[in-house]
Amino acid sequence: MQTQAFRGPLEKVNDYCWRIPKSYKAGMRVDGMIFASEQLMKSIRNDPAAEQVANVAFLPGIQGASLAMPDIHWGYGFPIGGVCATDPRDGGVISPGGVGYDINCGVRLVRTNLHRLDVLPHLDQLIEQLFENVPTGVGRGGRFTFNPDQLQSLMDSGPAGLIGRGLATERDIAFTEAHGRLHGARPDLVSERALLRGRDQCGSLGAGNHFLEVQVVDQIFDRQAAEIIGLREDLVCVMIHSGSRGLGYQVCDDALRKLRDAPKQYGIDLPDRQLVCAPIESPLGREYLGSMRAAANYAWCNRQLLMWQAREVFETVLGRPWQALDMQLVYDVAHNIAKPEEHEIGGETKQLWVHRKGATRAFPPHHPELPDEYSEIGQPVLIPGDMGRASWVLVGQPNAMRNTFGSACHGAGRVLSRHAAVRQSKGRRIDEELREQGVVAKARSWKGLAEEQPDAYKDVDLVVEVVHQAGLAKKVARMKPMGVIKG
Amino acid sequence: MFEVLPHTADVGLRVTADTLGALFEDAGRGFFSLIVEQLSEVHPREQKQFELSGHDVEYLFFDWLNELLFAFEREQLLFSEFRVSIDSGGLRATARGEQLDHTRHHLTHEIKAITYHGLKVVRTPNGWLAEVIVDI
Repeated sequence: MQTQAFRGPLEKVNDYCWRIPKSYKAGMRVDGMIFASEQLMKSIRNDPAAEQVANVAFLPGIQGASLAMPDIHWGYGFPIGGVCATDPRDGGVISPGGVGYDINCGVRLVRTNLHRLDVLPHLDQLIEQLFENVPTGVGRGGRFTFNPDQLQSLMDSGPAGLIGRGLATERDIAFTEAHGRLHGARPDLVSERALLRGRDQCGSLGAGNHFLEVQVVDQIFDRQAAEIIGLREDLVCVMIHSGSRGLGYQVCDDALRKLRDAPKQYGIDLPDRQLVCAPIESPLGREYLGSMRAAANYAWCNRQLLMWQAREVFETVLGRPWQALDMQLVYDVAHNIAKPEEHEIGGETKQLWVHRKGATRAFPPHHPELPDEYSEIGQPVLIPGDMGRASWVLVGQPNAMRNTFGSACHGAGRVLSRHAAVRQSKGRRIDEELREQGVVAKARSWKGLAEEQPDAYKDVDLVVEVVHQAGLAKKVARMKPMGVIKG
Repeated sequence: MFEVLPHTADVGLRVTADTLGALFEDAGRGFFSLIVEQLSEVHPREQKQFELSGHDVEYLFFDWLNELLFAFEREQLLFSEFRVSIDSGGLRATARGEQLDHTRHHLTHEIKAITYHGLKVVRTPNGWLAEVIVDI
């Protein structure tokens, strides 16, 4: 297993961009480009992730460059923080590893009209109630169960299908990326196994790095954008990070199994089996895209139901309806996904498939896919940090369209392995340390909490600074954690 | 014998054994040690049979762990004892364990999937070695 530091070439393009020339490895079709600062490059060089950026450059039909965001770290196949766009008319491929197992893992942010001081006296009770009512942890299902017909319908419609059941509003859908629905989903191609894994998990957080966090706006960087989004200093909001649960994991697993022989079949030379792929315009490629879209729509339903449960808990604890608390969705973004988008390559507008494996879409002002309300400011880019430091709201900028196929980072990025994080926390109580910093943390597993401790992550402020300076997305607001529930 | 390998985002497992059957058995124990905090708390009260076909030993190893993951996901079964026999056509296995009981079993990781990245099953001068990364 290759665990060593990257020894290949990393040429400085400018203060925030580094190139791995395609001459590095025979088989690379384009350069690799890593967006990072000198400071972040230190930890990036110590990780095999840069090698993975080079490996992704092998994919047929790749356009521009194999890209990585500043939160890049070692994944499987693709690096986490990787972006790759392929052109179907140039033999472009779709690679399930470029989406990941957690199809449409993503983040949503809900604002409230509550001041920090309104919530502080209720904080313990609020976190306790959230922990009790929002299912978290390994193998824990939700309170919502869907029969196979209902599941099929949700995988087709996304959260719009929950409006009729009183679990979503028109406004929620309007403020979800792609309106929570990728068209062309083929729920009929989703396997029995995937349905079994997913039938009672819609509306559950899961474990690992997934969380539901109560946050307070700590600093505003762009007043105009913050006002439009509805954020101001000391305002309480809720951030939710989860994905497609067992259903999506199984869809990816099924696809990778079917694609085991595809590289040979299509004569594609790959340096890593996890990168298996098929031409977009092939039966195997189309089949994966149909089931991937179904899983993505399921994931949007999952985050919708998680938000709904959070609204209910706030209602109970604060004693007012969620509408009176103005618990409106700021936005919902996917950060593990592949989507067809229009991008300009060498002066020509092309329809490309953009893989984002741990990267957030960051469309600039006036992009046609933005809700009207955000047209002047750009798409909100939601960046969770770690449990102790901060999370961010940014808005997409024009450079993202020029340089990163409309993408920015998706988080802080890990710097310690899970193993090292647990070793480092032996004899410590992470929950008590967080409480001393004013953060109430509840988790099912102490090990889970130890693995996710703040020290395991890069400083999110440094990551966000790169994205801001490179003009991919602009800082709007920083939030500090008040309380968090985890698996 | 198994040990956990550091991986930045996920978790790796390295398994060594004298025979291929023992390699798969130890991998089963290693796999459940990632899910449950105390494997010794998983008592062999019931058993389940597995049969898998395939001749590529790496894919067979992958499929074996995948079947164990699915048994856990679907039936909430935890296993701690394994008997695996392997021939040219595939494997037959018996896994012993029990139903998940949240009062005794503390779960640590939600394993999303087994990955192919760095997947390796090789013969060594001393027997067999396997490496695999699971997605957390």
